[in-house]
Amino acid sequence: MATAIPGDLIELLNDPAATKVLATVDEDGVPHLAVKQSLYVDVAGRLVYTELLESSRSNRNLVRSIWFGKSVSVIVSGAGGRSFQVKGKPVKTHISGPLFRKHYQEIRSLLGDVDVAAVWIIEPQEVIDGSYAARSAEERSRFPFFDHLDRLVKPAAPAA
Amino acid sequence: MANLNLAIKEKRPLSRAEVTEKYPDIPPLVILKADVQRRGVHYSEAALGALDLELHATTGTHIFGARDGKIAARPESFLLRDGSSIITTPTPLELDPYLVDLHEGRPFLFEDGEPVEEVDYWPRPDFYDKTSSSGTLMQNVVSARPQRLNIFPYRYCTFWNNGNGCSFCDIVTQMKKGKEELGIPARLDPLEVKEVVREALLEPGRYAALFLTAGSNVAGKRAFDDEVDYYIEILQRVGELFSVPNIPSQLIGTAFDDGQLERLYRETPLTSYTADIEVLGEELFNRHCPGKAEYIGYKEWKRRLVRAVDIFGPGRVNTGLVAGVELTSPGGYKNEDEALARTLEEAEDLASQGVSTVYIVWSPRPGTAIGDQKNASLEYYVRLAAGLHGLRGKYRLPIGFDDYRRCGNHPDSDLSRLHNF
Ligand code: SF4
Repeated sequence: MATAIPGDLIELLNDPAATKVLATVDEDGVPHLAVKQSLYVDVAGRLVYTELLESSRSNRNLVRSIWFGKSVSVIVSGAGGRSFQVKGKPVKTHISGPLFRKHYQEIRSLLGDVDVAAVWIIEPQEVIDGSYAARSAEERSRFPFFDHLDRLVKPAAPAA
Repeated sequence: MANLNLAIKEKRPLSRAEVTEKYPDIPPLVILKADVQRRGVHYSEAALGALDLELHATTGTHIFGARDGKIAARPESFLLRDGSSIITTPTPLELDPYLVDLHEGRPFLFEDGEPVEEVDYWPRPDFYDKTSSSGTLMQNVVSARPQRLNIFPYRYCTFWNNGNGCSFCDIVTQMKKGKEELGIPARLDPLEVKEVVREALLEPGRYAALFLTAGSNVAGKRAFDDEVDYYIEILQRVGELFSVPNIPSQLIGTAFDDGQLERLYRETPLTSYTADIEVLGEELFNRHCPGKAEYIGYKEWKRRLVRAVDIFGPGRVNTGLVAGVELTSPGGYKNEDEALARTLEEAEDLASQGVSTVYIVWSPRPGTAIGDQKNASLEYYVRLAAGLHGLRGKYRLPIGFDDYRRCGNHPDSDLSRLHNF
């Protein structure tokens, strides 16, 4: 089931200064992680990833995912510890046609003489806020035993 | 599972859903592709209405014909969501093809009234509507797949001169139609080909391979010298456009002798070579390809393929099958198990010597000697794809020159997308 990425997270994902990592899984279930700064969110709210190399592990793993309905993840991390993860399913790859051509031209104008193998469309399935503040608040409410007691001690009354 | 068990018990051909369930390691999209190739397609009026002549490639320049025998503006073929193509032909409704119709405004494949999978019509190349300096419409000189430029230098085959053309082939009928109805030149001028390729390459990111094929031409000092000379001339002219001596390219030609192969390799930018044996097994080859048998012979055809590996290198030579003709009568294998075993045995003999085998699904065409017979079951095509793919894995044979992107017509080489060699 597709899910919507909240607006502030889309902003972070589309920020060129943010770090974006694509996690895919190989045939043995071993995760493969790679920084992929080309990732962004399109107007339909889907993740778009431009793959430069046909033979890359990410590309092969994406093919496996689209063939067998497996998920991939994208982790985004920005300034001030803001980070989140999107789990999604690759639903389409463009290897020709107007969208492919647009990305081919854009990437080449940015990076010079590089090739483009495919433009992948990933449909978000789940968004997880990964920043410490959000995760810590969630843990405290869902798992009340997971805490160190000294963190719960009343602050000492200020000396008179 | 219940249906699958019943089908196995009843020994009836498995449906696509049953094949998908039985072979979980084969991607459902590849299974669908083989089934669509097997059964063909029929376009609804709405699907044809969605065809935009400015955006989509339409039929017209095929070297071989359609299953319904018509030449008309229809989508040339489709791209699937995984980037592979389904190259298929419009097929009369009574043959139970998939229906292409609109679903939520987009073209979809339909089976039994249900939408099965979205498809994109192939994008129209920029050069198609331009004319060459001789005034010929460029799409009638060179044609295109989503990522490949096709050059069909001429559209005849001299095996037909004494009636020895292949049993499944309609090149001559198609040439006449192309000439009469579309004005396609029967023989291309190499300089004009260069002019059109130059124009085509102005489209950014559109082409990843150059492809040539024509019928066999026995003429020349040695048989097929004229065919080789002509390919060389075209490849050299086109090669002048590039800054590198070798370009990603494929030639499907006759099985040439050592000297001819050496010339093709040394005198042109060609990087891979294919000589289609069409069917594996000497008796079947003699029956279905009498022209090839008359001039070269089965064993020599195989020997020349192996020799081509010495010249072009491992992973750069293959042969193609028209899969399904091996089961036609008279003379075909008795059942699919036997056909599969014998075909894979022969394919392994080639693979062990560096030659890959790929197949296309035979689509019976009107007017051909076996055009009134049926092709094989879906399960057969899936097992064959898995078998040929397995051989490439076993012998570590890359197939990058004839894969989903550079060709798109072989369910077996689609599977190589997961190979790391
Ligand atoms: S070699 Fe056979 S299939 Fe090829 S063009 Fe000639 S007759 Fe047709």
